[in-house]
Amino acid sequence: MSRVAITGIGIVAPGAVGIEPFRAMLDAAVTAVTPIDRFDTEGLSAHCAALVRDFKARDYIPAMKLRRMNTLSRYAVSAARLAIDDAGATMSSESGVALGTAFGPVQTSVDYMQEYVAKGAALAPPQLFAESVANAPGSHIAIEFDLRGFNVTMTQRESSLLAAAMFASSQIVKGTVPSAIIGGVEEVNEMVFSVLDRLGALAHAEEGLAERMRPFDRRRNGMSIGEGSAIFVAEGTPSRQPYGWLAGFGIARDTTATISDWGTGDAQVIAAMQAAIEDAGIQRSDIDAIYASANGTMRGDRLELLAIQRLFGAEVPPVVAAKGYFGEYAASGGFQLAAALLAMRDQKLHASFGFEEADSEMQFTPLTAPCATPLRNILVNSLSAGGGVVCAVVSREAS
Amino acid sequence: MHAPDTSIRLAITGVGIICSIGRNQSEVWRSIVESRAGIGKLTKFPGETFPTDVAAEVGDIDELLLIGGREARRMSRSDLLAVIAANEAISQADGGATTPLARERAVVSTGTSTGGLLEGESFYFDRLVRGRGRVAVSRVLQQPTSGPSDAVARALGLGGGVLSNATACASAGAAIGMAGDLLRSRHADVAIAGGSDALCRLTYSGFNVLQAVDENPCAPFAAERKGITLGEGAAYLVIERWDDAAARGATILAELCGYGATCDAHHPTAPHEDGRGAEAAMRGALAEGGAERPRVDYINAHGTGTLLNDSAETRAIIAAVGEEVPVSSSKSYFGHTLGASGGVEAVISVLTLQNQLAPPTLRLNMAAADCTLDYIPHTPRPMAMTNVLSNTFGFGGSNVSLLFRRA
Repeated sequence: MSRVAITGIGIVAPGAVGIEPFRAMLDAAVTAVTPIDRFDTEGLSAHCAALVRDFKARDYIPAMKLRRMNTLSRYAVSAARLAIDDAGATMSSESGVALGTAFGPVQTSVDYMQEYVAKGAALAPPQLFAESVANAPGSHIAIEFDLRGFNVTMTQRESSLLAAAMFASSQIVKGTVPSAIIGGVEEVNEMVFSVLDRLGALAHAEEGLAERMRPFDRRRNGMSIGEGSAIFVAEGTPSRQPYGWLAGFGIARDTTATISDWGTGDAQVIAAMQAAIEDAGIQRSDIDAIYASANGTMRGDRLELLAIQRLFGAEVPPVVAAKGYFGEYAASGGFQLAAALLAMRDQKLHASFGFEEADSEMQFTPLTAPCATPLRNILVNSLSAGGGVVCAVVSREAS
Repeated sequence: MHAPDTSIRLAITGVGIICSIGRNQSEVWRSIVESRAGIGKLTKFPGETFPTDVAAEVGDIDELLLIGGREARRMSRSDLLAVIAANEAISQADGGATTPLARERAVVSTGTSTGGLLEGESFYFDRLVRGRGRVAVSRVLQQPTSGPSDAVARALGLGGGVLSNATACASAGAAIGMAGDLLRSRHADVAIAGGSDALCRLTYSGFNVLQAVDENPCAPFAAERKGITLGEGAAYLVIERWDDAAARGATILAELCGYGATCDAHHPTAPHEDGRGAEAAMRGALAEGGAERPRVDYINAHGTGTLLNDSAETRAIIAAVGEEVPVSSSKSYFGHTLGASGGVEAVISVLTLQNQLAPPTLRLNMAAADCTLDYIPHTPRPMAMTNVLSNTFGFGGSNVSLLFRRA
C-alpha cells in the first residue's frame, strides 16, 4: 500500500493565478462566477460563469510557442509551470502526464468548422486541427518540460480530473514513473454554455432570486460553469513537504443514471466512497471532512447527500461544497482537489459558497463558515451526469 | 492505495469488433484470411470537396442495433459502434462459462479521439442556418468523448465505473492498459476495454490539410506510401483476473501481460524521427511481461502508411525487439480507425494468437528503403506465436504498446 505526494500546485483560475491567490479567494469567500462578457447570452436563461480574466499566457510561455497553442493549452502549460515552480523540483524526464477535461477543445473544433465552412474542407488551417485533439494540452506540457512517461487525457465528464489522478497515482505506486503531472483544464465557450442552458442544467434567476449556483440549497436550480487549469506535481518520494497525499481511490457507476442527468443509485456512490476509504487503508471514522461534488443540480446533490448520509450514518463529517466559488467543470474538477489539498496543508476547512437554506427533504447544512480543525483525511467526491463516480482520499500523512 | 500487482495474470475472455472488413470477429477474421481489404470510395459527406476520397467505412449498422429506436437515436455513431462491439465481447465472455460476468463490478474503459463529433458537426451546421435556439440540443448530447463508455455501460448494465480517454490515436491502447491496472489493483473485477471512433468531417478534412492522407488505399511500409486511409470502427476486450476467469469456467482466449506507455515529448503531430518514445513503450510492455525479457514472435504495428511513422516505428522496433521479428500493419485492411485503432488491433492480435496466423501487410509491393523489416506482404503467414506486441501511437507523441500471450 502506497501513497502519492502532491508537492506543487499551479492554478490558472477565474480571479486567481497561482496557489496563494487561489487560497486568498477561497478565504475571502468571494465567488468568481460573474456576468459573461465573452459571448452573447441574450435569449438564454443563464448569464453568468466563472471566466479567467487578467491572465497573460505570455508571462509563462514564450511568444513563438504561444502561437501554436489554443486557450486550453495556454492555461494548462502556464499552470504546469506554476506547479513545477511551486514544487521547487526539476521533473525527471521519466515523469508522466495525466490531464482531465470534460469538454476539451470544443471551441477549437468550432473555430475549425468555421474555417471549413468559409474556405472549404481542403483549406482549413492545419494548426487548428492539430489543437483540436483533446490531448493537445498534455502534449504541450510534455514537450515544454521534456516529460517522456505516459501521457493520457481523461474525458469522463465531471470526474475527469479524479480519473486522471487515479490513473497517474496507480502508475507512480506501480513504479512505472517516479512522478507525474496531474491536472485538469477547461474552457467556457458559447457552444457548451448555450447547450447546457437549453438542457436546463444551468443555474438561472427565477422568482426574485438572483442567478446563483446553490449546492445543497432547497432553491437550487442548476450549476454555474467555470474554466481554467489546476496542475499538480505528484511524486512517489516527495522532494519537499507535500500539501497532502493521494491515499486512495474508488470507482463505480450509478446504473440508474440517464444520458444527461444523475440517477438515484446511492448504493454505487457509497461503493465508490467506501472503496476509496479502504484503498487508503483507513476507516470511515478517519474521514474528517468531505469536499463534495455538489453542484447545485437537483438530482446530483440529492444523490450525493443520500449516499453520504447512508455511508456515515449519524457521524457525517463536515461537508464543504466549494464549487460555488469557481463553478462546475472548472479545471475539470482540479480546483476542488486544490481546495481540499489547501485545507489539508492549512488544517482549515473552507466555507461552502452558495448555500443559504436547507432543503426540507434533505435536512442538511454544509459547512458555511471557515473552520480550523485537525484534518487527517479528506474525502473528495466526483459524481458525473451519466452515472460515473470517482472518489479520492487526501491524507495528511504518508502512511 | 493498492498498487497494480503485476504478478496477477490477466485473461481475455471475450472480444468484439466492427470495422470496414467485418461486423463481428468471424467476418473480420475471414477477411484477414482472404486478404480482403475494406477500403473504397468515401460515401459519407456527399457534396463536400476533400482533396482525397478514399475511406474504410463500416456502412449501415441499423440491423445490428440491440437497443430500441429512442435510445439508439440518443447515441452517436461512435456510441453505437461501441455498443455493438462490446456486446459481442461480453456475449463471448459469458458464453459457455458456468457463471456469468459480474456486471455490477465491470468497469468500461474506452478510448476515442472524437466521440460524437460527427453529430456535433451536424448540430453546428444546423445552428448556423437556423440559429442557436432552433436546433434540438438532444442531438448534441451524443458529442462528448465520454459518450461511448457511457453508452456501453448504459446499454449493457455495467456498474463498475466508466473511464474515457481521448489521447488521440493512442486512446484505445491506453484504455486497455489502464483497465488492466484497475484489475491488478482490484479497483474492478471485470473490464470492458477498447475504443470507438466514427468518421467525421473534422478528421477527414484535418488529416487532408496536414497532407497525411494517401489518395490511394494506404500502403504501410511501402516505397510509394503517401499517408493514411481514414477508417472507422470499434473493438473491445473483456479482461478478467486469470483466476477469476478460470473459476467461473470461462474460455480464456489470450493473456494480456504487458503495457507500456510513453510520450515522445517532441512535436504536437509528428513522431520523433528515431521513434524514441515508441521504443520505450515497447520496452515497457516487455518489461511488464515477465522477469525474463520475452521473445516477441510478431508485432502488429501502428503502421499508418505515413512517411514519418513507418520509418520511425521501424527504427524503434529494431532498437527494442530486433531485426528478425515479423511485423505487419492491419491498417492496410481497415484503414486508420484513429482513437479506436488500439482496440481494433488488440482484437486482431488476440485472433492472431488464437489462429496462429499472422495477418499480412496488403499492397506492399516494394518496401521503402527505410523500412527494412519482414512486413509479411500480401498473404497471411502461419506461424508459431507465443508473444505478440500491438503498437498504437498518436498525436501529441503518445505511444502505447500492449503485449499479448497465447493462452
